[in-house]
Amino acid sequence: MRQLLQIELFKIFKRPRTYISFGIVTAISLVIQLAMLTDGKSYMGFAMQGLNEQFDIHGNIINGYFITYIILQSLLIQIPLLIALVAGDTLAGEANQGTLRLMLTKPISRNKLVFVKFASSFIYTVALIIWLAIMTLFLSLLIFGKGDMINLKSDTFIMILQDDIMWRYAAAFGFALLAMTTIASLSLLLSAFADNSIGPIIATMGIVVVLTILSNLDLPLFNHIKPFLFTSHMIGWKGFFDDPIPYAAIAQSAFVLVVYTVGFVAITMLYFNKKDIKS
Amino acid sequence: MRRKVCLLGFILCAALQAQATDATKLFDSLRNKILLVKDYSAEVKMKINVRFMRIPELSGTLYFKSPDKMRLERHGGLSILPKKNNSLMLRNLIPPGHATVIDAGITTIAGKSVRLIKIVPDDENSDIVLTKIWIDEQQLLAVRTETATRTQGTLVMDLEYGRYISYGLPDHVTLTMDVKDFKMPKGVTMDYMESSEVKPSEDAKGKKGTIQIRYLSYEINKGISDDLFKER
Repeated sequence: MRQLLQIELFKIFKRPRTYISFGIVTAISLVIQLAMLTDGKSYMGFAMQGLNEQFDIHGNIINGYFITYIILQSLLIQIPLLIALVAGDTLAGEANQGTLRLMLTKPISRNKLVFVKFASSFIYTVALIIWLAIMTLFLSLLIFGKGDMINLKSDTFIMILQDDIMWRYAAAFGFALLAMTTIASLSLLLSAFADNSIGPIIATMGIVVVLTILSNLDLPLFNHIKPFLFTSHMIGWKGFFDDPIPYAAIAQSAFVLVVYTVGFVAITMLYFNKKDIKS
Repeated sequence: MRRKVCLLGFILCAALQAQATDATKLFDSLRNKILLVKDYSAEVKMKINVRFMRIPELSGTLYFKSPDKMRLERHGGLSILPKKNNSLMLRNLIPPGHATVIDAGITTIAGKSVRLIKIVPDDENSDIVLTKIWIDEQQLLAVRTETATRTQGTLVMDLEYGRYISYGLPDHVTLTMDVKDFKMPKGVTMDYMESSEVKPSEDAKGKKGTIQIRYLSYEINKGISDDLFKER
């Protein structure tokens, strides 16, 4: 099993396109950091218009913690694509290259193969989230410095003291990892259905985009289905920056994501076991 | 008979005049006492209770310089003060310059007998329309003020005194003020949970907000540079 995982990881990290994701994370982080460095004050002025009429807020508002939150908010919508780039290729890529049938001639069970593919996608996701943390949190702190963090919700202004933030980010990145693992498992499932990797990647993004729109539409029609969509729970990391922290809601979101992940992997195993491998 | 009515009227007018003069004197004495403080720095703890704000108790140093400069320094952290932060000062809730002082009699606050005076500024352009002050006459201290302003609504300030009573500086201040709602598009913020699902504290409900300041220590009239109040 361990050797199989090493081989899978070697395959993932040997491919140049794996590093495209790391490059994209770097590029988006740097672009937002540069934008905030040059024009952050006017952005804040716009965001805090209603508040500035009533209160004077002084100090390093545009600090590393705040910038990290802004980047995460925008990046965690695009990161599923980067996860799908690799996870969507795990089974379908092998089928496309004609190596899947060859692999299955070895004395490895299909369940084990699916699990190893999922585990390698998970490790890739961990690496990407760690890189995301380095590029957003650590680089932003280096550029913008520390300070108390402001979190603006649609009708609430939350301020978190600087010595109470780091653990929240650790928890938030942990939650983001869970959410992205769900995406990886969805991609793996779609990958099992396809014989080329483009299909699962596009299908994953399509599902995420449509469900994200449904999750964010403020229409009573969709309110009943929202709690069952995994995309409604993927932003659970934001709960760690609320006051008071809605632990029960976060735990529920984490549970939903775990159920989806286990479900996707289980369906992949079921389908893959019965699949007629022709390539 | 006519002579008696005239005499009674004269006595009544004289009494009212004397009462108004007493109230004016009381107000002038209080204002003079407050104006004795030219500057101070104070270690404070501040709690903001506004319906749409979730802010922990803030510690810092509050700097004041006459007539209206104020700054909260939080040693690297963010500072939040009401927009016209001079309203945190008792001296700025009392009309400057000439004013008409009306004696509204004796009343009680927290079981203590105090005199209520109403002050209407003579300057028609003043932001302050009317100020009511509840004064502890024995110690010459304002224990409560209620100021109706043109731009900030009504501001109510409750003051408790302790160690700095001789300067007329409070140990604890509660400022109650009108606050507007805060709204941002949900499509921009992408909230995880509706804020209405998180219950605000009891005293943060409604359209009023309160700011409570505990003054832990003062350094009074030691001189403070204007540079401290410049925007950084």
